[in-house]
Amino acid sequence: MQKTPYQQGNSLWKDARQRLYRNRAAMAALCFMVLMVLACFVLPLFPCIANPNATNLDNIAAPCSWAHPFGTDQLGRDLLARVLYGGRISLLVGMVATMVALIIGLVYGLISGYIGGKTDALMMRTVDVLFALPFIVLVIVFSLSIEEPGRELTENLIILTGWSRESIAPIMGLVPLFIAIGALGWLTLARIVRTQTLEIKSQEYIQAARSLGLGHLRILFRHIAPNLMGTVVVYTTLAVPGIMLTESTLSFIGLGVKAPNSSWGTLIKEGADRMEVTPELLLFPALFFCLTLLALNFLGDGLRDAIDPKSAKD
Amino acid sequence: MTKLLLRRLGQGVLVIFVLETITFFLVRMLPGNPFLGERKLPQHVMEQLNALYGLNQSGIVQYFNYWKGILLQGDFGPSLVREGLQVSQIIAEAFPVSLALGVVGMLIAIIIGIPAGMLSACYRNRWPDTAIMLPAMLGICIPAFVVGPVFGKTLGTLPGLSVAGWDSALCIVLPALTLGLINAAYLARLTRGGMLEVLSQEYIRTARAKGASGPRVMFIHALRSGLLPAVSYLGPAFAALITGSFVVETCFQVPGMGLHFVNATTDRDYFLIQGLVLCYGILIVVANLVVDLVLVALNPRLRSQGAA
Repeated sequence: MQKTPYQQGNSLWKDARQRLYRNRAAMAALCFMVLMVLACFVLPLFPCIANPNATNLDNIAAPCSWAHPFGTDQLGRDLLARVLYGGRISLLVGMVATMVALIIGLVYGLISGYIGGKTDALMMRTVDVLFALPFIVLVIVFSLSIEEPGRELTENLIILTGWSRESIAPIMGLVPLFIAIGALGWLTLARIVRTQTLEIKSQEYIQAARSLGLGHLRILFRHIAPNLMGTVVVYTTLAVPGIMLTESTLSFIGLGVKAPNSSWGTLIKEGADRMEVTPELLLFPALFFCLTLLALNFLGDGLRDAIDPKSAKD
Repeated sequence: MTKLLLRRLGQGVLVIFVLETITFFLVRMLPGNPFLGERKLPQHVMEQLNALYGLNQSGIVQYFNYWKGILLQGDFGPSLVREGLQVSQIIAEAFPVSLALGVVGMLIAIIIGIPAGMLSACYRNRWPDTAIMLPAMLGICIPAFVVGPVFGKTLGTLPGLSVAGWDSALCIVLPALTLGLINAAYLARLTRGGMLEVLSQEYIRTARAKGASGPRVMFIHALRSGLLPAVSYLGPAFAALITGSFVVETCFQVPGMGLHFVNATTDRDYFLIQGLVLCYGILIVVANLVVDLVLVALNPRLRSQGAA
């Protein structure tokens, strides 16, 4: 009889990775997102991309050409450069606001699920109440109301660190938006994390850890948190397009990203205003934005199928 | 059943109260004030205006006065920017517009979205599924503020259709179509997911084994629970629609609640913002309540649990 060679078992993550590699739509989406991030964050560093704020009144609303692949806008600014720089802001808001939401949701859900009982009930009722609040209304009011403190913070930072205003003000101008969207977008994640925590808490290896005398924090962060990372990764990916959509919606109605920054939302707004004359101004930002959302959704679905095959509803 | 309803109602009142409280204090933290119009007012005029509207009192006093006005006199306060108009008048004017738009938009969404989702579930992983789900995915990823202007440009040139304003009955067509198609995409995906989950259950197999025809299984056995996810989505979405969709109303210049909300926020029209948010809160609570009732009616399992 032939001896079966020893075969190493696959880890959960290796299995998931293989399933993801086989999913062609998700892999295409992943490649697209990598390219998009490179294009928005790295490409503008090269001199072939024009300055997005350099106006040229002799070359207004030019059609596509070698010098300006996407043409120019109503002030003669290069549209390609504007779309790439706008993508920077949109992706940045999408990532940072999601991170804020992720941290709050993760900690809240872990604590609520781990403590359980009355505390859990109270914390989850709070989430229920917050869930019923009109999200975008609150984001608008909240982001506007923390603008002033944000500006003060910027001034203090300039005094304290000696950084130049030009380098720091544009980024700091986005901070209220990060906080507002993130601080209100954690609810779904908190619910999911809590459900998972409840489930994991009752497993035997957690009992084993407890009987070994490990502290609560250690159990929470070393034994429970790593085991719900799969779910967290999936829902975080799926949350990004929603958050980017919120940002661009706010920017579109003029309450989100403000000058000197521009995001895909503000570019789409400008393009929509001049659509009659120059449809490219709407077409290119909208195309970049929609394709990014599409890719993120496909990637999220693919990750869900790969990491959590049970929950896959196809 | 009654217990569930009462608990939900209590929760709803709490939601409205929390929402209004948060809004009240947040809008007062906004930089600027309602009287920064085109020309700058002298200091003493500003003070008089603040005194007239009670804005010189402390936040807590203003807060209690506001609730007192609403609860005892049904008075939502005056608009601070549009002189001589009461908030209740503005809402009474704008709400029917948003309501009409929301109802038509939602009908379009239901008529397109739910059958599309069912069809897609029937032909799972075959070409009709792809043919429906691809546009549905696109509908989710293409935001309303792209769809709106594109519709305005392409369809707005048709005779009779108008791209802006609200002066003839045909003005409703384009905004309602925009709202409807975008919500149809969500509905189609939710219906498909719900139907697929139900169709994999044992009782469907039993029904098939007993010889029930395909359509009978689909409509009589599966549809009822297959619609649950779509119904849960419809409630809040409907509330959001009839209280005005900011983007679509801004795109098409429809004088509904959404447009007022955006303008009131930029103008710092405190009482108007509060009134609109209150209105929104009430509607969303009512919509969720209706959804709970429908869910219980559709899903007998919820009846015994007493919780939705």
